[in-house]
Amino acid sequence: MTTLDTDRRLADARPVITELIDEATVESIAGEAWISLVGEDEVLVPLPGELPADVVSSWVDMVGPWTGSVVLTTGRQTAEDLSRALLRESAPEVLEEEDVVDAFGEIANVVGGSVKAVLPGHSALSLPSVGTPPEVRNPVDVCRIDVLWRGAPIAISVQGALPALGTPGTTV
Amino acid sequence: MRALVIDDSRAMRRIVSSILTGFGYEVRDAGHGGEALDVLNEGWVPDLATIDWNMPVMDGLQFVSAVRANPAWRSMTMMMVTSESEHTQIVRALAAGAHEYVIKPFTADAIRDKLALLGLLPQEVVL
Repeated sequence: MTTLDTDRRLADARPVITELIDEATVESIAGEAWISLVGEDEVLVPLPGELPADVVSSWVDMVGPWTGSVVLTTGRQTAEDLSRALLRESAPEVLEEEDVVDAFGEIANVVGGSVKAVLPGHSALSLPSVGTPPEVRNPVDVCRIDVLWRGAPIAISVQGALPALGTPGTTV
Repeated sequence: MRALVIDDSRAMRRIVSSILTGFGYEVRDAGHGGEALDVLNEGWVPDLATIDWNMPVMDGLQFVSAVRANPAWRSMTMMMVTSESEHTQIVRALAAGAHEYVIKPFTADAIRDKLALLGLLPQEVVL
């Protein structure tokens, strides 16, 4: 038996995310996070848009009865605009990469925490990461919504890991 | 009144600090529990600490335990402000010595209500 076969067997025994959460719940979670973090008047419109070529992702990994990642992906410019919106008056004139990593990562942290809260059982959440997102390894273990913020597309994906992730803290 | 905002995210520190400043607090911040202990060891002991859970170096739960181990800091009220929302985690934090718990995402009103419950809302804000 190959490692891949073993991974697939283990994956078969675990629930897939669409059995645990639906798109409407992810949309509601993201909407609440936006109002709290980005601003009271900031809304996410549930419409798909075409992501630009230059994208950046922020995500947190989750390990528990379901294992995977909560990933936000958007254009680099939108990630900067989001960071500026979070930092408001304390935003520097020129945003550094670390400002974007911090702010965009915190949004993933808050959305990921809320996703974790609606999943069954105890799960552990990693610290947020920003960069090139983890690959979608199992296409049936994905719950994805596409929204527009100020007209810019953002994809929010709750996607399973195959093979399973290690305990947070050891992988980040 | 003084508050110490402890969170590894600068954006989140800004959001919480802005809310507390609006309530009349003098605010300092720290990026993790270890930095926060440094502030306390300087002698700057706040009335309130807001504490994230998942942070590098020293997490929020370790910070709460360290504060509770030092009688000199007993007067400080500790409020977890975190995305950890599982009941078992809330119980752990309260058992370790945290006084209140706010789950991210939160609103300014949620913080205000918790401070009012704790008697830590300045009178001019209550009125």
